[in-house]
Amino acid sequence: MIRWRLAMRLLRRNWQSGEQRILVAALVIAVAASTAIGFFTDRLGRGMANQSADFLGADLALVSPRPVDAAWLDKARTTGLQAIETLEFASVVVSGDELLLASVKAVQDGFPLRGSLRTAPAPFATDTATSTLPLHGEAWVVPRLLTGLGLQLGDTVEVGAQPLTITRVLTFEPGQARNPFGISPRLLMRMADVPATGVVQPGSRLSWQYLFAGREVDVEKFRAWLQPRLGPSHELIGVKEGRLAVGSALERAERYLGLAVLAAIVLAGVAVAMAARRYSERHFDMSAMLRCMGASQRDLLGLYLPQLLVVGLLASAVGCFLGWLAQYGLLYLLSGLLPATPSSPHAWPVLAGFATGMVTLAGFALPPVMRLKDVPPLRVLRRELLPLPNRAWLVYGAALCAIVAVMWRYTDSWPLTLSVLAGGIALTVLLGLLALLLLFLSRRLNTRVGVAWRFGLNNLWRRRRGSVSQILAFGLTLMAMAVVALVRTDLMTTWQRQLPAEAPNHFAINILPERQQEFRAFMETAGIATAQLYPMVRGRLIQINGTAVREAVTKEARSDNALNRELNLTWTTRLQQDNRILSGHWWQPEDTGKAKVSVESKLAERLGIELDDELGFAVGGQRFSATVASIRSVQWDSFRPNFYMVFPPQVIDSFPATYMTSFHLQKDDKSLLRELVARYPAVTVLEMDRVIEQVSRIFRQVTLAVEYVLMFTLLAGFAVLFAVLQASQDERLYEGALLRALGGSRRQLRAGHLAEFAALGGLAGLLAAMGTECLVWMLYSEVLHLEYSFQWRVWVFTPLAGALLVGAAGYRGTRAVVERSPMLLLRNQ
Amino acid sequence: MIAARNLSKRVTTAAGPLDILTDIGLDIQAREAVAIVGVSGSGKSTLLGLLAGLDLPSDGEVFLSSHRLNDLDEDGRARVRGELVGFVFQSFQLLPGLTALENVMLPLELRGDQKPCEQATELLGRVGLAERLQHYPKQLSGGEQQRVAIARAFATEPAILFADEPTGNLDKVTGERVIDLLFSLNRDKGTTLVLVTHDEQVAGRCDRLIRLESGRVVADVKEASRA
Ligand SMILES: Nc1ncnc2c1ncn2[C@@H]1O[C@H](COP(=O)(O)OP(=O)(O)OP(=O)(O)O)[C@@H](O)[C@H]1O
Ligand SMILES: [Mg+2]
Repeated sequence: MIRWRLAMRLLRRNWQSGEQRILVAALVIAVAASTAIGFFTDRLGRGMANQSADFLGADLALVSPRPVDAAWLDKARTTGLQAIETLEFASVVVSGDELLLASVKAVQDGFPLRGSLRTAPAPFATDTATSTLPLHGEAWVVPRLLTGLGLQLGDTVEVGAQPLTITRVLTFEPGQARNPFGISPRLLMRMADVPATGVVQPGSRLSWQYLFAGREVDVEKFRAWLQPRLGPSHELIGVKEGRLAVGSALERAERYLGLAVLAAIVLAGVAVAMAARRYSERHFDMSAMLRCMGASQRDLLGLYLPQLLVVGLLASAVGCFLGWLAQYGLLYLLSGLLPATPSSPHAWPVLAGFATGMVTLAGFALPPVMRLKDVPPLRVLRRELLPLPNRAWLVYGAALCAIVAVMWRYTDSWPLTLSVLAGGIALTVLLGLLALLLLFLSRRLNTRVGVAWRFGLNNLWRRRRGSVSQILAFGLTLMAMAVVALVRTDLMTTWQRQLPAEAPNHFAINILPERQQEFRAFMETAGIATAQLYPMVRGRLIQINGTAVREAVTKEARSDNALNRELNLTWTTRLQQDNRILSGHWWQPEDTGKAKVSVESKLAERLGIELDDELGFAVGGQRFSATVASIRSVQWDSFRPNFYMVFPPQVIDSFPATYMTSFHLQKDDKSLLRELVARYPAVTVLEMDRVIEQVSRIFRQVTLAVEYVLMFTLLAGFAVLFAVLQASQDERLYEGALLRALGGSRRQLRAGHLAEFAALGGLAGLLAAMGTECLVWMLYSEVLHLEYSFQWRVWVFTPLAGALLVGAAGYRGTRAVVERSPMLLLRNQ
Repeated sequence: MIAARNLSKRVTTAAGPLDILTDIGLDIQAREAVAIVGVSGSGKSTLLGLLAGLDLPSDGEVFLSSHRLNDLDEDGRARVRGELVGFVFQSFQLLPGLTALENVMLPLELRGDQKPCEQATELLGRVGLAERLQHYPKQLSGGEQQRVAIARAFATEPAILFADEPTGNLDKVTGERVIDLLFSLNRDKGTTLVLVTHDEQVAGRCDRLIRLESGRVVADVKEASRA
């Protein structure tokens, strides 16, 4: 039977006595963290989709070599989407005697559906977002096209039979091909002008691109409708596929946020468990008394569970509210990244927050509280009688269920959840044993240290069961804190390495071999550092192990871009710094002149190329072959020159080559480009600064978000710290009082306690260092895909931090032992 | 009211089985006041626990009123205790988080009484603590705490009251006042009293005296025959 009034009165009294504060604080932290991140990832996800949509120019794009059935567009429109058509084709554009192969894009009103074009009134002048399109009879072109043909704004070019006046310089276009190298310069014109050009004939190579935009649900609906109707030549690009360099960074950030929240929740869970255990132990007498008065086991549950429920609901409500507030902090930090008018938050993070609160409570607090119903009534006569301890499987089982539930929500993957869990359990058991061993060893040390330390270490050993679980709790706490802090640092260095402040933001291609030296000198005098100059030979991959490449690869791979256009082949002896050799070996001096090649790993995987395969290439009319000597991973989002195929020197250098390089140019130095282009008309400059700027802004913002979330984890860690200390307080108080009554001096006691806690924290820190090393290794290789390296700092700082933190907190906590009169303490016992 | 037949309690310790109580037979009439005496370790508290149904004997039976305790499970015995039994202990067993009034109200609320507050207030007045209703146990002296415990024990008007050394923690004068209170309430309410004590003087005020030695009843005398 549930007695609400009595239960609520007891709850109020308990609250007044401060007994449940840690429990509530821990729960609030768990719920706040999960709600804030829930709100936030919800918005971040939508914000990221928007970003990607801006890059794509649409929410969904369909690429086809032929016009598609008009019914498809109608279907899109009836589904509630905007739909427009664009056409891309390669065409020679003419101005007087000058010819240039251009990549023409014809667009209609409405383009782009997402994001915007950027144009400038003159080459290399400041650009602005532009919402209009070229008018009838006009064209917008990239600077390369102007310099290539020696034209000015206002001049006329002919595309086929149609003359077009160049009215603006195009600097950014959503939907730009993802690999900017080797594309011919862009010319943007109206779709309506296309028929007059006469270039669109049967058999010409065309690419129709259909852009769709609308509400997310409608897009998904249409996508589901369209997918089964697509043929092999169609390519559907959604915002996910369209993600650029920022994709991997944001994905990692998202995972990190998930990880940090998970850590916060588990930590808070441990704190809740500790606090609940203490709560339970402090209510043994009451339970026994109530049993004597005739309360049945169900009566007891009817008294305790409503209290727990109310505490849970209140704490969850407060947590949700705080989480909702905290989310605004995150939104503020990430303002540029998210939609300008944040769509109203969904309600589910609140529900999820409540669920997290209740699950955490059920998993961590219920088992110790359930124990209260098993208190034997005879305890009123024999104080030493305890309820049977919770069956271990119940305690750990409940906690595990809670962790699994929470983890699954954040990882959304059973294999990951279960493997992390299995690892976690194994680690905990191992660490528990280690803790015992450490205690034992430190006791050995005992004879060589001062009195205070001997007292402290002896205390730990005497209570070794409790000590081990405390070391474990502190250790896990410190570990979670260390892991989250460490991963944060590594994420940031990775991002910084990916985009250092001076990252190259311009590429110069088509540098003629004979002007290579001169070009380098030119840049040097201008005070601009250039990266290595890479030779580029344009060639095709035609054979794999003697079989024509189209037959050699799988059906899906047949339409791979790498097969349908010329690749940039290069040679070098120096491995690009973000490349890693996955198998085989990198060029040694003796490889020079040998017919070998190093292949990029993703391409190799798609085409089924393996080590020692024989690849056939065609450059111009000539053919040659090379053996695959290594497979290489490439970080494509590093904005450095990168290549699918890298040869050793003296293999392909007989072929005509041009050179490329990259360099960093400050905004104010942009005028140098004009000079450069004037002096080296053949050289093409690709400006990536706008994209890179955007990417680095995103990185900066995500970094802030990561630090913000780290705070939650640390808070949860501190909650555990206090919960654990408080849990062991009663016993210590009593002992301390006894010692004082027996004549121990304050100084002795203080020093002893300090030593005890410092040892506890230090041992926990040592344990945490081991755990951190294992966990980080696993996380990096399995979840975050980061480079793992041994972290010596962890081994120094974690034990140190543990000793300091636990030492200080414990010392403060047991001050009462020293300050209150021993009489008082003993009497209250 | 209370009956014990061939009651034995044996526990297993590290040193082997240990008989705490052996073959105890008792009949306690309604309204009788019985003192159980004996040296420390003779098994008094154990016997009290068995009679009150806080524990089960290893052998023999216990009857409380019409209930055979052996037949009931823990919850069943709890129900019988709720109906029939009140307790006063040596260490006062007040809940430190509740006020004196709330402590006395507790058994009433547990039983689901409609006006627990009034009854409890009245009882506290009866034990002389009308001024201390809102005080917490910590703010009360030992004797006052024990008076609260007595008020609580009588709150449900139990048919039987078990008291285990209720004056064990009190000085002589305070102890006597507490005992006076206990006996006067006992008389007024017509309660059956089972009192464990070391104090022969206290025992002397009971109708009957049972003496234990090493878990056996060695004497069982009515006041009349003593006189
Ligand atoms: N569960 C048990 N396990 C082991 N020994 C027990 C157990 N219960 C009681 N005893 C022992 O049985 C003996 C009788 O205990 P009991 O508490 O009944 O004595 P008592 O007469 O009440 O003593 P005191 O006057 O000191 O309260 C004691 O020696 C006690 O240690
Ligand atoms: Mg006793």
